[in-house]
Amino acid sequence: MAGAAALPHPGLIAAGLLAALIMAALAGLASAGGTATLMPGPYLWGVVRGAASQAALSTVLSLLLGTALALALTRRSSFPGRRLLMAVMTAATVAPTIVIIFGLVAMFGRSAPLPALAASLGLTLPAIYGLHGIVLAHVVMNAPLVARVLMAAVAATPAEQTRLGQMLRFNPLDCLRHLDGPVIRREWPGLAAFIFLLCFTSFAVVLSLGGGPANATLEVAIYQALKLDVDFARAAGIALLQIMLSLAFVLAFSAIGARLPDAPGQARGQTRPDAGSRLLFWIDGAVIACAMLLIAPVVLSVLSGLGQLPSLVGADVARAALTSAVLAAIAAALAVLLALLLASAAEAAPLGRASPGRARLVELAVLALLGLPPFALVTGLFVLLRGTGSVSGIGLVLVPLINALMALPFVYRLLAPPLRQSAERHGRLSTSLGLSGVAHLRIVAWPALRRPLMAALALAAALSMGDFGVIALFGGGDLVTLPYLMAERMGAYRLDEAGAIALVLVASATALTFLADRA
Amino acid sequence: MLELNALTVHYPDFTGCYSLTVPRGALCAVIGPSGGGKTTMLHAIAGFEPVSGGTLSFAGRNLLPLPPAGRPCSLLFQDNNLFPHLTAEQNVGLGLKPGLSLSASERTAVAEALAAVELSDEAARRPGELSGGQRQRVALARALVMRRPLLLLDEPFGALDPGLRKAMINLTDRLRREHDLTVIMTIHTPADIAGAADLVAFVADGEVQHMAPPAALLRPGHSSALDAFMGV
Repeated sequence: MAGAAALPHPGLIAAGLLAALIMAALAGLASAGGTATLMPGPYLWGVVRGAASQAALSTVLSLLLGTALALALTRRSSFPGRRLLMAVMTAATVAPTIVIIFGLVAMFGRSAPLPALAASLGLTLPAIYGLHGIVLAHVVMNAPLVARVLMAAVAATPAEQTRLGQMLRFNPLDCLRHLDGPVIRREWPGLAAFIFLLCFTSFAVVLSLGGGPANATLEVAIYQALKLDVDFARAAGIALLQIMLSLAFVLAFSAIGARLPDAPGQARGQTRPDAGSRLLFWIDGAVIACAMLLIAPVVLSVLSGLGQLPSLVGADVARAALTSAVLAAIAAALAVLLALLLASAAEAAPLGRASPGRARLVELAVLALLGLPPFALVTGLFVLLRGTGSVSGIGLVLVPLINALMALPFVYRLLAPPLRQSAERHGRLSTSLGLSGVAHLRIVAWPALRRPLMAALALAAALSMGDFGVIALFGGGDLVTLPYLMAERMGAYRLDEAGAIALVLVASATALTFLADRA
Repeated sequence: MLELNALTVHYPDFTGCYSLTVPRGALCAVIGPSGGGKTTMLHAIAGFEPVSGGTLSFAGRNLLPLPPAGRPCSLLFQDNNLFPHLTAEQNVGLGLKPGLSLSASERTAVAEALAAVELSDEAARRPGELSGGQRQRVALARALVMRRPLLLLDEPFGALDPGLRKAMINLTDRLRREHDLTVIMTIHTPADIAGAADLVAFVADGEVQHMAPPAALLRPGHSSALDAFMGV
């Protein structure tokens, strides 16, 4: 490793390049013309306030429902439909946003079964469009994430402590206080930060279900500045505001000890001291029923597209599927490469001595990436690159790049913990054996990272495949992906065909996750 | 008296069938090779293993129908005996009331138990601030306040220094005499237990193969399996 000390770690170079890329994009955007406003006016402050309270509400409800669901599923290790619910929860966390929106509109929209049922009973359900629709969509997407992370964390409680609980006659309240409470307290801050940032910068959900400017987010404001006002400098200003707010938020959260939530592992069963309580039996039943009613129909509504699958046979769909697959593959490879570089930079330290400060800094930076405004970035880079090729040619480069950046926070939390563990367990041993370079990768790192790498690739591919952010701005013409096609069909009220595309999207995302679990 | 008669635990890759008799108030050390089924036997007595046959009784009472909380035993694990978010005092208090709303007399009992294991000064500390030996003493103190006559210890002092291990065994010996406890303790280092134990049981391949006072069992030439285990 002689000479390695002189060169910065490749991960740090990658981080520097990322920062330069972001700044160049914003500068390019600002230079493209428009009215530069560094101080946000009352409209933008209104958007910030509204988005913050929407995100806070979404976060609190997702945490509450997700935690109740995690505890209920931990206590009830077998009941009919448990496997279906678990599969639906996995699908809800990887399903493309546009599919969740489709499901919500299908279930709760004007002509949907639920409002129709209510109407026949003489009731009027509030329309799905508006703040409650946005929050509902966010809860459907994030409560299963909370539940899966917490289930894995609770299952990691030492078996001795669960047995102690049995021996000491813990009642349900004692179990909550001594067994689950400490786990929940440890995981909530990170989960809250993660979900809050996701909802604060939410785009597709807000644009489709917002029902008016009152519920906009900064991300939507950027989109409007670009697409409606064609005011690039204004978009750059809003983008800068969003980045600053996200950074400030992450710093504030890190002060109370938030970290990226670890990706959920496999939960193993333990006999719970509180499994026999009659009261909990009914509470858990109610929670599980609520989750089934709320999450399952939204995800399963894509099955309505089953009958329309034959209508998909056609050149445009095949082309869009191919485009999606290629873009997703490039984005996934890029996201995983970046995550690996950053994670190994975070862990790199002489003689295996961990440097917690550096690891934490990288983790916070990755968390802050959730606040990146994709539209502003992609437009800024487009401004810089225009003239170098055709629009769709540039798009072919920029869409996977931005998608990789968007997937990075998700991928990082899959890869960083196993990499850290491998360094802690085998770092000194491999140093003492003189294992380095390729030999180290092959013998030490690869066996520990093979599964997480596959899972990370699958997740990144699923996220990029379902992306309906950047492509909304860029798509059309030659560059059409499946979500774009689906949005077009939804816009044309060809809901059956949109449902069929949604089915394809969910099926491929779920298949990818399933394959990654088996890897 | 604790009696196990062909107490059977069945797993796809392991079957344990234990017969063992320990008089009331005795200290029985359990030795044997790793993977031979020592821990499984203790867990079966405490109610944490599904038992498929045989009998288990203490003081003439059948224990098999009872849940772990209803059995007259307390079990100490090698690790993770304490809840990390609670102080030493609270961890002991759990043995009286899991809700931790203790009466004045219960508080006194907790203080007395901590004094018995010589940890009065550490009462307000959390497990993270205690040494390995101190943590196991807190767990012993909790077992004392639970007032269950059968104390099961699963490699409780395996991670401690030799001197500390000796001291902990002497402490356990003293406490069982003062509180009239029947003790079963698995241990990796038979020499440590020779002075304190009344009985030594040799468990291998899922059964109690030999059982005798330490002086008789721990001398070379008792049996070939024992000699192989002891390394003589």
